[in-house]
Amino acid sequence: MSERERGPDVASAGPPRAPSLATRLFSVWMRHARVYSDSLLANATPAVLEPLFLLLAVGFGVGRYIEAEFNGLPYQEFMAAGILGMTALYTAAFEATHATFVRLRYQRAYSSMLNSPLTPRDIFVGELLWCATKGLFYTTIVAVVLTVAGAVSSPWILLAPVAGFVTSIAFGGLGFLVTSVVSNINQFQFFFTAGLTPMVFFSGLMFPVQELASPLREIAYATPMFHVIETFRMLTSGASHASVEWVWVCPFVMVASALFFGAWGVRRMETRVVG
Amino acid sequence: MSSTPRSSDPSASEPVVELHGVVKRFGDLTAVAGVDITIERGTCYALLGPNGAGKSTLSRIIGGVSPRDEGDVAVFGMDPWEHQVAVKTRLGVVPQEDGLDEELDVLRNLHVYGLFFGLRGDVFRERAARLLEFMELTGREKTRVVTLSGGMRRRLSIARGLLNNPEFLILDEPTTGLDPQVRHVIWAALRKLRSEGITILLTTHYMEEAAQLADTVGILHGGKMVAEDTPDALIRQNLPAHVVETHADEAANDSPPGALVERHGDRLFVFHDDQQRLLDWAAQHASGSTLTRPASLEDVFLKLTGRALDE
Repeated sequence: MSERERGPDVASAGPPRAPSLATRLFSVWMRHARVYSDSLLANATPAVLEPLFLLLAVGFGVGRYIEAEFNGLPYQEFMAAGILGMTALYTAAFEATHATFVRLRYQRAYSSMLNSPLTPRDIFVGELLWCATKGLFYTTIVAVVLTVAGAVSSPWILLAPVAGFVTSIAFGGLGFLVTSVVSNINQFQFFFTAGLTPMVFFSGLMFPVQELASPLREIAYATPMFHVIETFRMLTSGASHASVEWVWVCPFVMVASALFFGAWGVRRMETRVVG
Repeated sequence: MSSTPRSSDPSASEPVVELHGVVKRFGDLTAVAGVDITIERGTCYALLGPNGAGKSTLSRIIGGVSPRDEGDVAVFGMDPWEHQVAVKTRLGVVPQEDGLDEELDVLRNLHVYGLFFGLRGDVFRERAARLLEFMELTGREKTRVVTLSGGMRRRLSIARGLLNNPEFLILDEPTTGLDPQVRHVIWAALRKLRSEGITILLTTHYMEEAAQLADTVGILHGGKMVAEDTPDALIRQNLPAHVVETHADEAANDSPPGALVERHGDRLFVFHDDQQRLLDWAAQHASGSTLTRPASLEDVFLKLTGRALDE
């Protein structure tokens, strides 16, 4: 290194100003957006195509043979709510499990972020906001397609992005809880097949939950996914097509799940990265 | 002179780091067992120790990344765990596992890290350009990190650690696994930074690195500080001035009077202040490959951290 090259000049700088909370959260969000935008197409395609295949194959394919109405709706319209909920759920759950684990274990992204002014809480709150942004983005795309396909009949569908955002925080938080305990990436398979899949299929995506025998019905009512799907159904078709009379509770349970799982998941991840 | 800290800064004369009785446990394992360290402003402190001695744990505690179980820690006069944001804003860290974003190019890696400090726009661009030049990476801005050599990667990691104009730089094994050319480039850069008044904490297990760069060397062993002084003083206080190194199967029974004999692996080390006596002894008793040289920091390290492998 030659002498004329100048290193950083400490004396002229003075103590720098600490970045604000908003700056810190935004920087985490931006970091993920930067890394992720390089592979946007590869990442976005399955998240959007999978729910659409389900709509085409089951909603329209099988639905053609179904004369009966579900909650007073044609089958493909009945399914629209579950498809929206499923889109947000899988987007967030995948991001908060596989993607988070890769950052934790393979990219070592958190160790370098922790050396910057970011606190562990900044990192995981920022990451949850990123999860929710992705959930919002994909829910919006799927909502547009569902509307064009004629599976939506309520103007409240305009609120679908908000519901997608909130749902993603709930399932992102749940994903964090799992990520905070796994020791290898294959263990997520159990969470997806034994935890999320039944929750998606038995919470009102394919058939109304009230058809389930007790106590399965009550178990379904107790899952966050039931409340998410009922909320989405209010947005796609209106409250008159709800599965239960107390449907107005559902959006509140959805928000409460987001706050509860979001806060718990962030706390568990904080503990995991701090040695 | 750029190395003089601002006189208006009341903390200018305070030590940058002060540790008292720091203890850190992981379950049943005590990784750090009551350590005191003081690092004065503008000096370079090297933390030496075998793997598992507690070096990285200590540097994480000082860097505000990990809490301690007992003791007091002050960095810039603040508790780094309680004031993470304030302390880490003024701190630069070059970790051993760099956590660079492999799919992003060199400049974007710096950009993303700069955002964590709220750096953007012209301030960021000017600083990034200057640091890439300083670390001899100019022209690599658009190269994806995954394609960089180990040496370039480490230089980028150092540039990243300097992005916030830190007053205090922590480097965890900065030259481990690098070839000698790159190691010397990095040492030159670190000397330059120190000459500009930046305080440096270095963990290493290369004795030469510590001897080249550090004003003070602390030797950690089993979570305890077993010795701390300037490199020269450590050698003087712990060992006679000269040593002859030979095969361990040579008879050590009739070593010269007053000699200190150490055995490490299949090597025998005979220390004595009188070089001529050692040479005479070696000529008579030692055969095969022998080496007579001044005692070094490595000899002190081996003596203090014991013969057995701790890993």
